[in-house]
Amino acid sequence: MNDKTYRLVKAATNILSGLSMATLIVLGVLYIGFNNAFVFNNAGISVTNNPVTGDQINFILEGSRRHECVLKRVHSDAYDDATGERFELDFARKIYIRSDDYLGNDTGVVDHQWAIPVPDGMKPGVYRVSLYSEFDCVYLLFTASKIQMFDNIVLIIE
Amino acid sequence: MDKVRNQKIQKQVERWDLFARLTPTLFLLTSLVLVVFDIVPLEYAFYLGLSGFAVTAVSWWWWAIFTIRYLISILSRASANLTEVNDEIKIVKKELEDLKDER
Repeated sequence: MNDKTYRLVKAATNILSGLSMATLIVLGVLYIGFNNAFVFNNAGISVTNNPVTGDQINFILEGSRRHECVLKRVHSDAYDDATGERFELDFARKIYIRSDDYLGNDTGVVDHQWAIPVPDGMKPGVYRVSLYSEFDCVYLLFTASKIQMFDNIVLIIE
Repeated sequence: MDKVRNQKIQKQVERWDLFARLTPTLFLLTSLVLVVFDIVPLEYAFYLGLSGFAVTAVSWWWWAIFTIRYLISILSRASANLTEVNDEIKIVKKELEDLKDER
């Protein structure tokens, strides 16, 4: 290898190494950001037809989502404020009232409204609802399973 | 002794240079292939890269500290020797001038 070729190879490897290092750093920072991000930001769930007089509870979820996430599992319980008795809300019987994204994989502003039948044996009173949801999120070449919980959703049954 | 150590440092510098030029590209390409073909989860590649980065940073830091300390000691020794030579030249110069005056 003559001197000129050696210099060219050295310069090329220097540039390639710098670009690779920059790529590694950018990918690393993006991965940390994605891994630590919540599924929903500035989000809240509330009951829209409080106090509930009919046979269904209407929920609304408002917030925003940065990454594409698909809902894998959801579980919700209502606890009687006075006795602590637990009632499971049946998500298998969920009815969408309004949603621009049924599969849950759009990014941007989220506005979901759904209804769930009032569980059997639920007496009038104040309840605290908690909602546990599992998502599979995707961003560039990254994937991650994430959990988001919502607590203290007030539900009043009349 | 100094010559041997200097050569050793020169070799170490060359090795660091080669390492810095090859490792990032090799690691990026290898981990991309492994992650894309689902051989290694992305998380493992990320933590491996992070560990490699940390180990390299710490090793380089300590190597740089020891090398700079050695170079400073060589520099101060060289400077002291030069001052000594300068003083001796002054004495010789003075002696030569005195000899000239005597003649």
